[in-house]
Order: sequence, then C-alpha cells, then structure tokens
Amino acid sequence: MPEDKDWDVYKVPPTRTPVSDRLTSVPNPVTFFQTVFNYVIDAPVTFVREWIERQQSKNKFYYYHQKFRRVPYLSECMEGDYLCFFEAEAQWRRDRMVDTEIVEIIRERLRACEQREGPNYLQNCAKEVEQLAQVTKAYQDRYGDLGVHGNARTCLMKQKQRMMEERNAKAKAEASE
Amino acid sequence: MAAMSLLLRAAAAWGAQRAASGAAAGARLSWLTGAARLPSTVAPVRHSSGHGKKMFIIKPTSFYDTRFLNMLRFYVFLTGIPVLLFITYVNIFIGEAELAEIPEGYVPEYWEYYKHPISRWIARYLLDPPEKDYEKEMAILHVEAKKAEMRHMELEARRLMRQRGDGPWYHYETPDKNLVDNSMKSTPDN
Repeated sequence: MPEDKDWDVYKVPPTRTPVSDRLTSVPNPVTFFQTVFNYVIDAPVTFVREWIERQQSKNKFYYYHQKFRRVPYLSECMEGDYLCFFEAEAQWRRDRMVDTEIVEIIRERLRACEQREGPNYLQNCAKEVEQLAQVTKAYQDRYGDLGVHGNARTCLMKQKQRMMEERNAKAKAEASE
Repeated sequence: MAAMSLLLRAAAAWGAQRAASGAAAGARLSWLTGAARLPSTVAPVRHSSGHGKKMFIIKPTSFYDTRFLNMLRFYVFLTGIPVLLFITYVNIFIGEAELAEIPEGYVPEYWEYYKHPISRWIARYLLDPPEKDYEKEMAILHVEAKKAEMRHMELEARRLMRQRGDGPWYHYETPDKNLVDNSMKSTPDN
C-alpha cells in the first residue's frame, strides 16, 4: 500500500467538522450511499487485505537503502590513473541521480503547496517557489547542458569554465574600482 | 438469414405482382416487359422450423486463423498460467520487504537491497554481487591501462634508440673495414 506522506512537510489545514443545521426532515441520502459502499466494497476489501497482511507478517524481511563509501573525486585523481577515474565517474553518476531526486522532491513540495492553498497559492507558496528556483538554478549550473554523453570529466570542465568566469568577473570588478 | 428469407418472400411477392401486371400489360407493351417477365411460381424454399431458410454462406476460410489463435492461446497459457499462479502465490503469501534503517554495525548482504522477493532471489542465486562486477570491470581497466602504458613505452624506446643509435635495436651489420680492398683507390691514376 502507498505510504502516508510526511505530515510535517506537507501540511494540511486544520479540519473543521461541520455543524449540521438541517432545515428539512428528509434524511441525508449521502449516508445511505456511504453505508452501501461500506458494506459492499470497503468491508470485503479490508477483510481480504488484512488476511493477506496476516499471511505476510509470519516471516518478515527487510530491505535497505545502500550507503556507498565516498571515493576521491575526479579532480583528486592522478593523470593516467584509470581506476580512480572509473570510481570517480561511478560516484558522479550516483550524485547526479541523487540531485535529480532532490529537485523532484522540491517540485513536489511546490505542487502540494499549490494544491493545499487553492486560489491563494501565489501569495502563500512564495517560500517554496524561491526554494525551487534556487535548486533548479544550482542543478542547471552544475549538470545542465552537458548532454546525454555528459560524464564526470565534462562536468569538471564546466566547473572549471564557471570558476574562470567568476575569476574574470571579479578581476574586472576590482580593476574597474 | 431471417432477413434473407424476408427478402426472398418480398422478391417472390414482387415477382408475382410484376408477372400479373406484365401479363396484363404484355399485350400492349410486349417490347417493354420482355426482360422483366418472371415465372409466376418462384422456386420452392425449405425453411427449418422457425429459424428461417438455412443459408450456405460463402466466405473465405477461417480455418487457419482459428487454428493459429487456438495454438497461440494454448502455448501462451501452457507456461503463462503456472507462472502467473506462482507470482500470485509469492505476492500474497511471502509479500514484499519493508524498508528499514541499516542497524548499527550490520553490513547487509547484496541481495537485501531489493524489495520484491523474486528480485531478491534472482540477485542472490543467479546474479553476481555488484561488488564482484565492479572489481571485474576495474581489473579489465587495470590490464588495459598497463598494456597501453607498455605500448607507449615501447614506442618511446624505439624512437630514442633509432635517434641516438646507442641501444640494442636498429643495429645493422656492416662488413669489417679490414676486408675492404682499397687497391683501386690507392694510386691516383686508376
């Protein structure tokens, strides 16, 4: 079954139980449909599901998320050390996957906020919008435009270009002062 | 088929009508009704009880199509149904693994990183551990790197020995200078 989301992050507004002030003596037809649904669909499905879970809980087993050791980055590898290159490349690919998932999570948060707030989303979701903008800009700076054949080496070259531009901009700013 | 029998009855009725009108008007317009003259009695038709006339429908053979579909169903279900039953049994009675934090000081086996029990079984008994694959790939790279280095050094040694001429390679045997007969160059007038 899908897990419940993190209630601290994806906040829901406080529930308001409606006070019923009925003006008619006609009973609410919704309760009839609710009881029908409960007996016809909900109860059998819940029974079957709980029976299955009882069968499965007899011998439980677990799975884990693998933690990988950190290895030297590509910038710390000696020239011609192909094994170091290989390990740095594998680590870079794992880090890129992690960063992609981080961007997805921030995007999900914005979408959840928008769904929650309804018509007030422009005003109340400003924090999430700012966060998403920052995260996507960082991702684009690091991994964007590398193309489908992007690897750790091209990403390192892109970083070198970025640092060179920063240095030139700083030198020009200091020279113009 | 009922429609066809209705059609035939309608045709019979129309034929009888045309025959009657043709016989009456044939005397006046004999050249008109020549093609439309129908016999007054149409062919007797046998109807099976209540089902209308039994028709012999002429259509292309469906023998090969039905045979193909039957065989397809048979061979797909022959292994498909046991596999589906097995997978259903595994999903209901064994169930998927639960996500847990890695306990302190415990190193999980390489198959304990998968959720579905069949994936775990395949990873455990059929596939090699990913660490072994990693090490194998690194070993191949190491061997190739060493080969590349050796070839590079050999080319460098060849170049230098050719250039400097002081190495064991690029030795060309020349005849001994004491064997050379200089008698024809020893006097200036030869």
